[in-house]
Amino acid sequence: MPFPRLTAAVHFTAGMSGIIDRFTNEDLAGKLLDIGVRPGSRLRIVRSSPFGSCWYVKIDRHCLALRKQELACIMIK
Amino acid sequence: MHNDQVKRRAVVGLVGNPNSGKSSLFNALTGLRQRIGNFPGVTVEKKSGEIALASGVGVELVDFPGAYSCYPTSLDERLVVQELTNPKGDLFPDAILYVADVTKLDKHLLLFTQLRDLDLPMILVLNMMDVIQETGLQVNVARLSRELAVPVLLVSAREGQGLEELKTAVADLLKDPAKYRPEAPFYEPGARARDVLADLRQELPARNDYHALLLTHHASWLRHIPEETRHLVQQARVRHEFHSLRAQVEETMERYNTFEPIVRDSVRFAGDQASRSERLDNILTHRIWGPLIFLAVMFLLFQALFAWAEWPMNGIEWVFETLGTSVRATLVEGWLTNLLVDGIIAGLGGVLVFIPQIAILFFFIAILEEVGYLARAAYLFDSLMQRFGLNGRSVVALISGHACAIPAIMSTRTIANWKERLLTIMVTPLTSCSARIPVYVILISFAVPKETFWGFGLQGLAFAGLYFLGIAAAMLSALVFKLVLKTPERSFLMLELPEYRTPVWRNVGLTVWQKVRTFVEEAGKVILLISIVLWGLSSFGPSQRMAAAEANAARINQELGYTGEAAEDVLASERLEASYAGLLGKAMEPVIRPLGYDWKIGIALLASFAAREVFVGTMATIYSIGSVDDELRIRERMAEEINPRTGQPVYNSATAWSLLIFYVFAMMCMSTLAVTRRETGGWKWPAIQFTFMTVLAYFSAMGVYQVLS
Repeated sequence: MPFPRLTAAVHFTAGMSGIIDRFTNEDLAGKLLDIGVRPGSRLRIVRSSPFGSCWYVKIDRHCLALRKQELACIMIK
Repeated sequence: MHNDQVKRRAVVGLVGNPNSGKSSLFNALTGLRQRIGNFPGVTVEKKSGEIALASGVGVELVDFPGAYSCYPTSLDERLVVQELTNPKGDLFPDAILYVADVTKLDKHLLLFTQLRDLDLPMILVLNMMDVIQETGLQVNVARLSRELAVPVLLVSAREGQGLEELKTAVADLLKDPAKYRPEAPFYEPGARARDVLADLRQELPARNDYHALLLTHHASWLRHIPEETRHLVQQARVRHEFHSLRAQVEETMERYNTFEPIVRDSVRFAGDQASRSERLDNILTHRIWGPLIFLAVMFLLFQALFAWAEWPMNGIEWVFETLGTSVRATLVEGWLTNLLVDGIIAGLGGVLVFIPQIAILFFFIAILEEVGYLARAAYLFDSLMQRFGLNGRSVVALISGHACAIPAIMSTRTIANWKERLLTIMVTPLTSCSARIPVYVILISFAVPKETFWGFGLQGLAFAGLYFLGIAAAMLSALVFKLVLKTPERSFLMLELPEYRTPVWRNVGLTVWQKVRTFVEEAGKVILLISIVLWGLSSFGPSQRMAAAEANAARINQELGYTGEAAEDVLASERLEASYAGLLGKAMEPVIRPLGYDWKIGIALLASFAAREVFVGTMATIYSIGSVDDELRIRERMAEEINPRTGQPVYNSATAWSLLIFYVFAMMCMSTLAVTRRETGGWKWPAIQFTFMTVLAYFSAMGVYQVLS
């Protein structure tokens, strides 16, 4: 199921995917870019973690674990 | 390059992203010829090793920590930037082997292009050529080499393929480092950065523009930048409104745009289907099954640990007992023989007996790491850990802490946030390390009857309970520290979940070997020293008191008609009471009486503050039993001990529980304190750690004793 127009990735549930548009938090953007999360990448939310505030996500072909606030700054189109 | 300096051996740096297989390549190239030390000024573990090139020239290969970019967020990463921007440093490499995972080339080239712009002679090493055949990935090496303007080599660190070609390429590059100098940088600094650089270019010790830019970004913490220069940089940054984070984001985006087409042209990735790893993760990182499987894995791990370690431990004990006995039989009796047998051989035995457990634990941890499971564990527990002020990565330290707090504390370097890292360091020693095992074993037999409850041995349950108590105490202490400490720093998870792979056994073996060696060298020194000091304190005393004690012993033996071994035991215990150790124990008796301890336990406690594994050995010395590690005999002797005040056995269940609780909580390991000092850069945190753990231990043990007695 595609994401609606430009929304923070944190609002979505497992199974949704979309293309990263931009980041809204400079503090986190640098580090996200470093590990290969960048505008134009396809992000898919795979599942949430046992105690809630983390997500197992897939960026292009690679799997990552991200926290809620890290996902919150990723805007998806 | 260094012709004008004293000729030194060429340094080749191994650099790459985490999970690029860099360490595997290092192990494959150097094998057992590795040296472990620290990078200058920091405690990040430095692995280096000599490799012989085809020409017979030896070069030093330095394994730099994994880093994602020249904009570090953790200590490990800082170190890479620190050393690679300091051309005058000892570790500044003459050439770099840049290791990239061929399946992640679209991410791993970021740092590559940054280092390339620093004008460092490089070879791009594409690791994991073994997966190329498996996944149908295609790489055009010649094209990649042409477009990136560096030699590109395919290797498989796992299978050991391509290593000879790699050595030849290194030799070629060292012979003619200028051959592959870049014609144009991958990235030109933006307008604002150029203004700053125009101001600073003359002031900074920089080789080129990009080097100057990095120094501008990082001047405040780079060790080789003098204080005045830092001020100049700061002023220039303010004057031109240079925003470091924004500039970093701009640079990174531009770099991706530059190298992405190159990767697209030269590498064809296989289709995007759910891999085997992802299918495994459906179960292993499942919301409910994930944590349950983790607990099951840990349970099995510790079961195996105890089951497998028993035999070799018994073997080691036997060897040292035999050694002690035969030395005593061969040498003439005297204080030197006593020192050798009771001090040195017993002390050595006390150290070496832990090797099986440490080896087995690191064997398991190394496998979990190699397989890729530890990253999943960090993911599973990050949310929980966050509530206690820790990080998902703390799980690794808290698990390793059950073997030994020292390597566990060192493993916290990957936690970027200082507060989360500090908290992990502070609470890790509360987890029950292997040194507590012998203490638990001997005391539980007094505390808990040997009965079963619903098929479970009560003693085994108590054992598990103590472990759980340690973990609970660690988490709750972290919570308290979390509320007390404030930090404005950024906290990240952003954890890569690499594909599951079968472990490379060479890496597992090397890890075990290195950890065991570190343990013997670091902890061994302390324990040996303490054993000798303790032997001295308990063998000598004020001469008058010692003479009186000997006379007293002779009188008792005569009255009771003791001869032989029994008489010697009486003499030994009388002498101990008169010795310096006895005096110390008596002096502290009032403090520990509320906990249910007498002066003899006091001596053992005092000795245990150096290293808790000394407890059993000290008990043996105090109860004058020839062989140290014979727990059965020590136990018998302890059971016979009567408290003169009450006429009851000293080791009743209240005292035993009180001691057990004390040993769970108390900070009784000098080596751990030393490591905490190194990792936190001062005596403040080890002092706090020592105080809070000891206070916790004292009052908990007092509470337990008062309730139970």
